[in-house]
Amino acid sequence: MDLELTETQLLLQEAVRSYLEREVPYDRIREQEKAGTSDAVLWKGIVDQGWLGLLFSEENGGAGGSLVDVGLVVEEIARRAAIVPILEVAAVGHVLERCGEDVSDLLAAIQAGEAVPVPAVWEGAGSEGAPSVAVRDGVLRGEKHFVDYGQSATHHVVAALDGLYVVDARTPEVTTTPLRSIGRTPLCHVRYEGVPARRVAGLEASALLVRLGRSLSAVQIVGGLQQALDMTVEYVKVRKQFGVAIGSFQAVRHHAANMAIRVASTRLLAYETLDAIDRGVASDAQAALAKASASRAAPEVTMLAHQLHGGNGVIEENDLYFYTLRAKEQSLAWGSFDECMAVVAGQVHVEPDWF
Amino acid sequence: MEFEWDAEYADFRRELRAFIQDRRTPELLAEYAATYGSGGPLIGAFHRELDERGWMRMCWPVENGGEGRNLLYQYIFVEEMEYYGMPYGNLTYTSIAPSIVAFGSDAQKAEWLPGIYRGEYCFAIGYSEPNAGTDLASLRTRAELDGDEYVINGQKIWTSLADVSTHIWLAVRTDPDARKHAGVSIIVVPTDTPGVTIRPLYTMYGGHTCETFYDDVRVPAANVVGGVNQGWGIVMHALNHERVGLAAVGALARLYDQLVAHLRDRRPEKLEDPVARRRLAELELDIREHRALALRNAWIISRGGTPIAEASMAKISGTELRTRIANVSMDLLGREGGLSVDSGAAAPYEGRAEFNFRLSPIFRFGGGTNEVQRDIVAAAGLGLARG
Repeated sequence: MDLELTETQLLLQEAVRSYLEREVPYDRIREQEKAGTSDAVLWKGIVDQGWLGLLFSEENGGAGGSLVDVGLVVEEIARRAAIVPILEVAAVGHVLERCGEDVSDLLAAIQAGEAVPVPAVWEGAGSEGAPSVAVRDGVLRGEKHFVDYGQSATHHVVAALDGLYVVDARTPEVTTTPLRSIGRTPLCHVRYEGVPARRVAGLEASALLVRLGRSLSAVQIVGGLQQALDMTVEYVKVRKQFGVAIGSFQAVRHHAANMAIRVASTRLLAYETLDAIDRGVASDAQAALAKASASRAAPEVTMLAHQLHGGNGVIEENDLYFYTLRAKEQSLAWGSFDECMAVVAGQVHVEPDWF
Repeated sequence: MEFEWDAEYADFRRELRAFIQDRRTPELLAEYAATYGSGGPLIGAFHRELDERGWMRMCWPVENGGEGRNLLYQYIFVEEMEYYGMPYGNLTYTSIAPSIVAFGSDAQKAEWLPGIYRGEYCFAIGYSEPNAGTDLASLRTRAELDGDEYVINGQKIWTSLADVSTHIWLAVRTDPDARKHAGVSIIVVPTDTPGVTIRPLYTMYGGHTCETFYDDVRVPAANVVGGVNQGWGIVMHALNHERVGLAAVGALARLYDQLVAHLRDRRPEKLEDPVARRRLAELELDIREHRALALRNAWIISRGGTPIAEASMAKISGTELRTRIANVSMDLLGREGGLSVDSGAAAPYEGRAEFNFRLSPIFRFGGGTNEVQRDIVAAAGLGLARG
């Protein structure tokens, strides 16, 4: 057991953080939000830095990182509010690596920046229900809802009736309709009208994809919430009223402490679940619980951040809104608090293994 | 970052759990319930058995009779004992013994530690006074040196277990002219010393706590722990250990499991009710969040660190969760949730839900109020200067 980051992980975290602070100006993020685009410049940087290699074993040309390592990259990118499909590529990349089929061409293309595959999982209004999309005679037909970064991805990894299929998203048989949502990151609805589909894995991989998506989504939320907390702490140190820093007032301190408690417990559960997935022992309920923890924390922490920032926190020149809006979007993605709690509630009759 | 327990810890937990399940007799549990942790013949025998296995002091230094094991063993020990509701020495063991180990003289260690690990000594804690609660450093109970003895005069409150204890771990003012934190000492007072008067204060959770009065109580100066006027640091050290115990997750997990087991066996329709299932799931989420904080706290200590904000976070989350579990349990059970153990078989799982509702408030303010804990998180964890 080691509940702290290793030396190597601290170096990775610091490398990603300083790179993003240097290379990703907030004004660029604001422009991308307005245009509804993702950050292609940053994606090239991520490829050049080799961070995607953490996803893959050495025999697949990667660096053989753990999922905790991958989580750290996802967390830092969320902490910068950068608009890139890192969670999406990480989730499908890991599942493809473990799927048992020979997809080495695709894994190499991901690491070269030539392929950007994203998951296409959901069909209904939320995260409930099994997929109905089917593949017959090698072609896939149907629709997927809430595909993050679907419009700029090169491939979709589609959850179908009997498992996962990869389709080329740039073909005319794939139509994406952009959706504008609270997170201000690219999102779309997709129609597949007879697109050639390559089978890569069965239903167990589809379930793994959801478990991993939920865990990475929790880590992503933690990144944004940590930044919102840090910004708030800095603000209440310098903001003065009645002649003193408002951070000296007990009511303010208690709000800040409550934010810190939420972030701390959510972070531990999120990384614990990533580690459990790596060891092959994570259940659907564990991943749902970690995501529920993060989904609950997201609005609580950001709304307290706003309470302590007052009017300064809501103007768009201030960076706080990135985290408020992204975190709420992310709290809904891969299963909202209620949807994930329904998964946990489905298991309450089973005696939990607490320790 | 790795979350899997190393094999030696997993093995210890298995061994301990099997032992507990074997020794967990209704008679022992009844004695524990009747004496509120103060002891009794069965508890004494159980402690001796624990000690024969080395478990009462395995994390103490070898030179003090321990095995110098990693503190995670102690965490596992408390977690399992709390889960199964077994007596393990409570604050004497979790808070006082580590303080004697850390600050006591060789003679004090030799005098008190064996009695503690054999379960013969119970220490009541005398910090609070009627006018010194959260502002503990304003305590006024006075100890004046007279030859090689201290003469103690004053009054303490919430001196729980004083009436059944062998000793009182007493915070006294030894220098009235020093700044208030600087003039405090810890002195150990045998409860049978002339001049000690103990008066019970009956509580809504059934047991009682105590007021203690000190009238010209004469105690050897050698009973001062860790040096004269050095008491404040010792109190803080002991309170940190106390908070680890207050934050223990075992009892909370047990309450949850008992509730679910009762519903499964006696009220199966409740477990079909999606609203009830959701309420249970939220408790499970809360317990797992709390457990993550409690374990992190213990892990930092086990690595030689001193968690400050982390300890306070765990104390807050565990104690507030305790009140929530008690309350939600009763709401889910409906009218039968209010039945006490005195209702016999009609009471769900021996009336534990009802009992815990009555018991739960003390954890939130005991050992340092949660308001103060939040302030500690803000100061030590977030770097926010106090006004």
